[in-house]
Amino acid sequence: MRGTNLALGAAGLAAFLALGEAVPRLGLVKEAYFPPTSRIAGALGDELADSAFWTALGDTLTGWALGLAIAVGAGIVAGVVVSVVPYLREATASTVEFLRPIPSVALIPLAVLLYGTELRSVLLLVVYASFWQILIQVLYGVQDVDPVAEETARSYGLGTWARIRHVLWPTALPYVMTGVRLAAAVALILVITAELVIGAPGLGARIAVAQTSQAVPEMYALIVVTGVLGLLINVGARTVERHALAWHQSVRGEVAV
Amino acid sequence: MRRLFAGLAAGTFLLATAACGSSDDSGTSTGSSSSTGTTTVELGLIPIVDVAPVYLGVKQGFYEKHGLKLSITTAQGGAAIVPGVVSGQFQFGFSNMTSLMVAQSNSVPVQAVSNGIASTGVQGKDFGAITVKKGSALRSAKDLEGKKVAINTLKNINETAVRESVRKAGGDPDRVKFVELAFDQMPAALDGGQIDAAMVVEPALATVKSQGGVEIASPLVDVAPDLTVAMYFTSTQYAQKNPEVVRKFQEATAESLAYADAHPDEVREVVTTYTKIPASVLARVTLPKWPAEANRSSIEALEKLGEQDELFTSPPDLEKLLP
Repeated sequence: MRGTNLALGAAGLAAFLALGEAVPRLGLVKEAYFPPTSRIAGALGDELADSAFWTALGDTLTGWALGLAIAVGAGIVAGVVVSVVPYLREATASTVEFLRPIPSVALIPLAVLLYGTELRSVLLLVVYASFWQILIQVLYGVQDVDPVAEETARSYGLGTWARIRHVLWPTALPYVMTGVRLAAAVALILVITAELVIGAPGLGARIAVAQTSQAVPEMYALIVVTGVLGLLINVGARTVERHALAWHQSVRGEVAV
Repeated sequence: MRRLFAGLAAGTFLLATAACGSSDDSGTSTGSSSSTGTTTVELGLIPIVDVAPVYLGVKQGFYEKHGLKLSITTAQGGAAIVPGVVSGQFQFGFSNMTSLMVAQSNSVPVQAVSNGIASTGVQGKDFGAITVKKGSALRSAKDLEGKKVAINTLKNINETAVRESVRKAGGDPDRVKFVELAFDQMPAALDGGQIDAAMVVEPALATVKSQGGVEIASPLVDVAPDLTVAMYFTSTQYAQKNPEVVRKFQEATAESLAYADAHPDEVREVVTTYTKIPASVLARVTLPKWPAEANRSSIEALEKLGEQDELFTSPPDLEKLLP
């Protein structure tokens, strides 16, 4: 099954690349603005040989990893605290719903004003965007706790910490992992966007320089790199999810009722 | 109802803590200077041909000679640079003259310190031009009436300049339909027919010309002979507190500008270190002029046109803005 999926995936990608080669070659779009796959691949080769590219990749990954780590940490702590402390959920619900839909990109002027073009302004945007993904999932996860299990734990005299550890956390974990997977993708998008718009060092800034330089194949090569990054991050997040939830029936499919 | 009040209370609390956080942060922002005689200054630039003299100046040791170490940050567009300088993230920045005048008229405390770039002053041989597609029926700026013309930013220097070109050609600038488009997207949009004309600057201008596009006007030349297009600037606060650093920056930059003006080949070479302009395009790029001094009368002309086009909320004070 896995082999077939892999083969199908590869076939789909190959067809896509062939289309990318054919469309400009056939003159359906101008080669100058949409270079064929082979030229993009050539530009990609040049990029990979350039040490500045690897520095930029490192900057982007640093921003992504730090931002995601902060958002996950803060989201889990805030989510659990909000759910466990009586009345806090009602008290914050409207504020969360007010803040959550604000697009991170709208905060760019604020980020620039506070931190200029350095890593911290990227982090501000990344953390703001991915924090909500985690928080909301944690809130849903905690809501899903079986009241009978909760009451049983209480009547056996488990303290707050023990109940969080043994009842709440295992129930919420699948939700949290979904949140992490979503946040990982959102964080990558925001890192690249911040670099593109603000000019903080990284792949996004490199794309912007290629754009303003009229270096079209190089620009597409860098965009391909960000696509590959997104793919790897998604695969990675799914692997982590599978391992963390190895005990859960959604992963242990064979024993599901 | 109780829920609503509880929510409001929590919201207020969050805002209050956020406000405290931000004031703490701005308090710790650093203005770095050392006692060893070398001062490190942050400079915010746009990665384009215009700022090549600074890179050359660093390479030639002009800034070092004056006791300055430049830490260059490239930002995407002026939007990040003006707030960056005003908030103290950068000590110096690079911006076009209209943006600086608009900032000043909006009471944003900026102060120009050194010349940036000037147009070549030669009709048909400038680094910026109104271009039309190969075979277009449009022959002069007057023909732009009722047509869709792309400029990089509405209500800024390029709109002022294009309007002046139309006016000078005997047309009515109010009848031109301006659309906002990034310079790098203009060649494709022009070629694809989405726009009728585009006000492009290098290196996009070289790309347009390589496709057979035709220049129909040189708007920056139409504004004034040898127009000062952009300048290096700092915040008024920084200039007052650090007159010595500003003086050093002015001297080193003046040397760098003169050197760049005299060595176009080295300019084309240094441009490849911070942009990705392909060699084939770079060879055809028209370089701007880099006089060491800003041209005051050209800036006054730009200001008058800006006022005519209602760009300023209050008239800019050039006495205070210019060095």
